[in-house]
Amino acid sequence: MVNEINFDTVIAAIEDEIGCDCEPYGGMINEEALRIPVDHLQSVIRVLRDQFGCYHLSTITAQERENQPGEVELIYHFWQGKGISLMISVPLESPQVESILSLISGADFYEREVAELYGVTFTGREETPPLLLPDNWDLGPPFIRREETDE
Amino acid sequence: MNKITIPIGPHHPLLKEPLSMKIDIAGERVLGASLRLGYVHRGIEKLALERTYVQDVHLIERICGICSHVHTTTFCLAVEALLGIEVPPRAQYIRALMCELERVHSHLLWLGILAKHVGLETVFMHTWHDRELALDIMEGVSGGRVSHAANQIGGVRFDLSEEQEAMIRENVEKLKTQVGGVLDVIENEPALRARTQGVAPVSVELIKDYCVVGPVARASGVDIDLRRDDPWPPYDQLDFKVITLPDGDAWARTLIRALETRESLRLCETIMHKMPDGPVTVRAPRKVPEGEVVTRSEAPRGEVVYYLRSNGSDKPARLKVRTPTLAVLSLLPEQLSAIHVADIPVVLAGIDLCIACADR
Repeated sequence: MVNEINFDTVIAAIEDEIGCDCEPYGGMINEEALRIPVDHLQSVIRVLRDQFGCYHLSTITAQERENQPGEVELIYHFWQGKGISLMISVPLESPQVESILSLISGADFYEREVAELYGVTFTGREETPPLLLPDNWDLGPPFIRREETDE
Repeated sequence: MNKITIPIGPHHPLLKEPLSMKIDIAGERVLGASLRLGYVHRGIEKLALERTYVQDVHLIERICGICSHVHTTTFCLAVEALLGIEVPPRAQYIRALMCELERVHSHLLWLGILAKHVGLETVFMHTWHDRELALDIMEGVSGGRVSHAANQIGGVRFDLSEEQEAMIRENVEKLKTQVGGVLDVIENEPALRARTQGVAPVSVELIKDYCVVGPVARASGVDIDLRRDDPWPPYDQLDFKVITLPDGDAWARTLIRALETRESLRLCETIMHKMPDGPVTVRAPRKVPEGEVVTRSEAPRGEVVYYLRSNGSDKPARLKVRTPTLAVLSLLPEQLSAIHVADIPVVLAGIDLCIACADR
């Protein structure tokens, strides 16, 4: 049986440990969410894992929000009795995030999927061959919106 | 000894679905492996944004040919949460019934495949024969063996008649007897034990590090099942056992699916016993208010996750689907390392691959 995680305690622990200003995001149904600075991703995940036993990364969602043009948002969906998400944003021009593979081996395919479909570069991990797209795909990340493609 | 790399797939007699593996071997020992997916990548997450929510239910049904119902259920739960509508209790029970029958037929199909790989042709014939009883129920109530189209936003598409309810009870009863026989073989057949016991054991630490879900995690003693730990109704009103085994080897992964099949059949009986009366659907608006939601379900292979964001129109702004096979596949290279070449089919079969799910 999995013990449910208490969201307020998590926020307090993160602020205590790292001192980063994480901002609770209340817009997600069924899931607690936190916006955090991209540089603190690794340390926040370490707090979740080491202090709360929250090891289970369900997936990583990448998306472009209409109200945040020029940015790619990454949502790291964790689960410990209930969902808890970490949200970070990176510039669409040169999206770069440090890989969390050294913390969670299960993040491998999720990072590769986001890298291929959204063009996000995960630093600190080996370069890998394509996972989902064809070997000769040269049209760029297919999930990024482009206005000029309808010509 | 020299290292040799042998390619398996994407088209190979061992696999019914396209997966490409490069397996490094030295003599009879496997040293490591790398995987390549994408041969059935259909871009469903992208396609879903071009279609309305109503059309998406039918698109999402086609992510998988085995667990199609759990995908549409998880999607409908997400849309219904954004709409703020509550599905009638009878529809919730029918959804759960279909989910459990799906688990029964998925596990029986898988047990057959494993039996075939280890040379037990008779068990293969029996399990696939028995599986038809579950498929008969699903076809009898929905009209489709594979794509049931049971769900619609706001409930289910059909009600159960008295004759259908009687047929369900009768087939579930027959299945219980048949599955008892399969369990007997798995527990007592020396050839099966010899081929699976002690093969590719996976530790709790590895399961947690690779975020593995479903029967593979439970066969290694990780007590996780979303039907109990993060339930949607009616699972919060139903009593059932979550089965875990300590061994974590290929035999435990075989036995657990047989035990889960038996438990699911019990659960089908409970669902039929508690099945409430009433309507099976409520009317849902076509446009979905702005918002975002995450829903999770326990599919036959483990946790299915849907993230859905709406911008207030009749089409999703973003849909993310994480299927259990993708979580379990990342462990495969680790499982394949340090086994004998002859055990590759057993290990591959053991994780119950669904490449269509993993690729989407």
